[in-house]
Amino acid sequence: MHIFEKRWSTALSADKKEYTQFVMRQDETVESFLQFDPERGIALQHTNGSLAGIPFGVKDNLAVDSYQLTCGSKILSGFTSPYTATAVQKLIDNGAVVVGKTNLDQFGMGSSTDTSAFKKTNNPWDTERVAGGSSGGSAAAVAAGLVPFALGTDTGGSVRQPASFCGIYGLKPTYGVVSRYGLTAYASSLDVVGVLSKTVDQSRIVFNLMKGQDERDNTSIMHPGSSNGGAVKRIGVLTAQKGVLHPDVEKSYAEAVGRLQQNGYTTREIDIETMKYVVPVYYTIATAEASANLARYTGIRYGYAAQDAKSSSDLMEESRNEGFGDEIKLRILLGTYVLRSGFQDQYYHRAQKIRTAIRNEFSRLFNEVDVILMPVFPTPPFKHGDSELTPFQQKVADKYTCAANLTGFPAISIPSSVENGLPVGVQLIAPPFEEERLFAVARVCEKDFPSPDSPLYKTSWS
Amino acid sequence: MYQTFIGLEIHIHLITNSKVFCSCRNEFGAEPNTNICPVCMGYPGVLPSLNAEAVRKSYQVCMALDCTLNETAIFERKNYFYPDMPKNYQISQFAFPFGINGFFDIDLGGGTVKRIRIHDVHLEEDAGKMIHSGGVSFLDYNRAGTPLLEIVTEPDLASGEEAEIFLQQFRQMVRYLGVTDGNMEEGSMRCDANVSINEQGKGLGIKTEVKNLNSSRFVNKALEYEIKRHTKVISAGGTIIQETRLWDEDRNVTRSMRTKESSNDYRYFPEPDLPPYLPDKDFLQEVRESLVELPLARKGRFMSEYALSESSAAFVTGEKEIADFFEKMVQHGVAPQTAARWLSGDVQKQLNLSGESLKASALTPERLSRLLVMVEDGKISRDAAKKVLAAIFTENEEPEKLVKDLGLEQVSNKEDLEKVVSEIVNAHEKVAEAIRNGADKQIGFLMGQVMKATAGKANPKIAQQLIKNNIFKQG
Amino acid sequence: MDVMDLKITAELAKLALTEEETAKLSEEVARMLEYFSSMSEVDVTHLEPTNYVLQKENRTRIDSEKNESDIPDKILGNAPRREDRFIVIPNVL
Repeated sequence: MHIFEKRWSTALSADKKEYTQFVMRQDETVESFLQFDPERGIALQHTNGSLAGIPFGVKDNLAVDSYQLTCGSKILSGFTSPYTATAVQKLIDNGAVVVGKTNLDQFGMGSSTDTSAFKKTNNPWDTERVAGGSSGGSAAAVAAGLVPFALGTDTGGSVRQPASFCGIYGLKPTYGVVSRYGLTAYASSLDVVGVLSKTVDQSRIVFNLMKGQDERDNTSIMHPGSSNGGAVKRIGVLTAQKGVLHPDVEKSYAEAVGRLQQNGYTTREIDIETMKYVVPVYYTIATAEASANLARYTGIRYGYAAQDAKSSSDLMEESRNEGFGDEIKLRILLGTYVLRSGFQDQYYHRAQKIRTAIRNEFSRLFNEVDVILMPVFPTPPFKHGDSELTPFQQKVADKYTCAANLTGFPAISIPSSVENGLPVGVQLIAPPFEEERLFAVARVCEKDFPSPDSPLYKTSWS
Repeated sequence: MYQTFIGLEIHIHLITNSKVFCSCRNEFGAEPNTNICPVCMGYPGVLPSLNAEAVRKSYQVCMALDCTLNETAIFERKNYFYPDMPKNYQISQFAFPFGINGFFDIDLGGGTVKRIRIHDVHLEEDAGKMIHSGGVSFLDYNRAGTPLLEIVTEPDLASGEEAEIFLQQFRQMVRYLGVTDGNMEEGSMRCDANVSINEQGKGLGIKTEVKNLNSSRFVNKALEYEIKRHTKVISAGGTIIQETRLWDEDRNVTRSMRTKESSNDYRYFPEPDLPPYLPDKDFLQEVRESLVELPLARKGRFMSEYALSESSAAFVTGEKEIADFFEKMVQHGVAPQTAARWLSGDVQKQLNLSGESLKASALTPERLSRLLVMVEDGKISRDAAKKVLAAIFTENEEPEKLVKDLGLEQVSNKEDLEKVVSEIVNAHEKVAEAIRNGADKQIGFLMGQVMKATAGKANPKIAQQLIKNNIFKQG
Repeated sequence: MDVMDLKITAELAKLALTEEETAKLSEEVARMLEYFSSMSEVDVTHLEPTNYVLQKENRTRIDSEKNESDIPDKILGNAPRREDRFIVIPNVL
């Protein structure tokens, strides 16, 4: 069995028209790509390799030379990147071909992809619903069969949550193992490049090709390899508190636990005391870092510039105010505030200390279990707009995914069931550098329950 | 009476091949916006990558200033918006800089040395440059991201003059280390000064900061202006407003910059893109061993070891290359005083004429030493040596060849000279007679005649001896 | 967080907010800050901050320059306003 079905390696060969027309037709419904332009990717391709000819999508906050880099924001509309992210380059060097840039929440800030300034991406399972976020475009493109895998970025769950909403696999590697060079920073100490794919082995091969220390990223780490070849026996299962999870998610979660037990894993219920601080700590740190990371967008050197500004200060202020969406402004203000002198101790410094407590607790738990199982998101894919989940409720719902970012530990979202026509996923977390444990358990579960095909998923181009 | 407290914040541009966080060339005077890349232009997705040489040179300065080195140095983001700063935060060091609590001794002359405490030494990135013209500003980012080392002193300086002396001697020191060219006009060394005055014994007063000081003279003048202004305000019962002021070099005054209070909240936090830096023992030892003898110590040694006067030692140790040149000459057998005299006199004159630096010129310690040994040995006259020196600069030839080419070899051969002398004495018998009768001064006249006859090449010592011998033998 | 506080914060963040935005955002920021207040329950006395996640060793780059010839021009080409090789903005003074 090949890791990638044969149609993928020939999609961009001689009669690539069939494939590109298929994608463009399908994407009228899904709206996953902000820019679909395989020719640029073909121009960048220069080697054969284990991914020879395989098309893939790249979230539009990752730089690819000659492609646009908008981060889903008006402030970068029309901006073309002059360079390629290290992670993307490594895949290109192994023969894979970038076909386009996928939609996202502005600068990766959101759980719905609806904060994109350009379009709303629809869930291939139900177009009234969101594909999740912020890597919603990448998730929807894979779930709709437009590409076998796509790259996303995960700062607080942005790969895992849309993967779960679309019924596919979503890997967030250990922090630093994949170079961040070329990943438009949202929160530098939390951001990682991740993979969304239809199978576990696809995520695994892509991850293995992307990892490695990078001279351009001083926080990148050489992966020391997994211990024990990723052997897993004991799985800690986070106790699902009554009433916190949507009934469909609760049901699916229980099903996943059952599947693990049937496959011979020892499961054990665990409580994580620091879980209740995860979201406040996450949003304090993420917005603080974001307030600095997003300071560079001022309409001076690139991107959107306000017209007729009277002074340089006006140019910066007006460009930012006109270019950034509401959610961005909220997070910049919040992040600026928690760093202000007089408030730093109360917010930013305190959050960085509690972050240590969270990491300590997870490390302790990993003395007793090999992997931790958790929900990904408390609800199934929600509808576009605020009717089901307000932006504030969406933030609170990041609870299960943020922990892996705060600790830097690797995590994967895997499909667990389809409930009422919508996919649900669960999440596995491992200690640092133990991605192999995640793949091992995910593969076992995949045998019983592989990624379900969405109604829009097709295996041929016609 | 009031006491004055002056502190300096000095920025020096480190000499490196590339910028501090990217591989763009670090050079002055390139065509606008040619040394730029996504990293130093703050493009989406880029990350800083720390330049090892900038770190090394930073530690050299820390050690030269006897700083305590932080076991863990941390880079932080200093947040504020300015069009010449691409990321709108500056990567700098704040709570844990490379070096803290150092000192620098300044030489106030006449054996008086004053110790100025150093608060800290930290590495950061420079901003780009702006040219304002009409309704617009032109931005050039070549300088953005070049390595800048900031040295902050405690308020230990007591006058504009002391500040000027500090800057001159500090500049000399960092040039000795070879970490910067210290050119204040080109901005590779910049200085901001803060000053306060207070009644004796009452500690620091309310300070003002003065910026836009691009020479050590301006630092002196601006500080003296501020001290007078503070004194006037306080004497009249007023209070100083804590603020930043600009030096106006055309009008010789400082002017308030009028900045908003809120814009001074820099919201420092640790730079998540750069791991902390922990200098290890081997690295520190290697840096320590690479340190050169510093100007003040070298001056003292030159005075004791070579018996140079203070002013002579000060000149010779003013630049490291001159001091090195001097010591090589001494090794080649030139008397220290002679070497110092030539370096501060004729060599300096020639350098001023050609506008070259000693290093770039054709003069080497070996060439100058051989030339001066020829003078010592009586092979050429001092005047001839000056001619040869000038010729070395223009012809780039060995001194021996130039002496020959210019026909400057002295006639020291006794037989040849005796012939000339006896002819001259014979031709001036009356003068010889007078000398025999005690008119010693007339020997000078005969010397002149001998020089004339030999086109100035006669060895004066030998010629004089021969004249005396000739006259008194005949008598 | 009152409106005045938000205005100072917006100024630091270089955001020219309208009055409506200021009112709306100060409410949302306040709600988040209220949510953050649960952090004050935690005893942090013996906790070091996690300023760095997993990276612990020194990282430096060898001081060599490499200018990629076409990059500066591509970068200049992205500037909204320029003249010759300069990027131009309204006068800063």
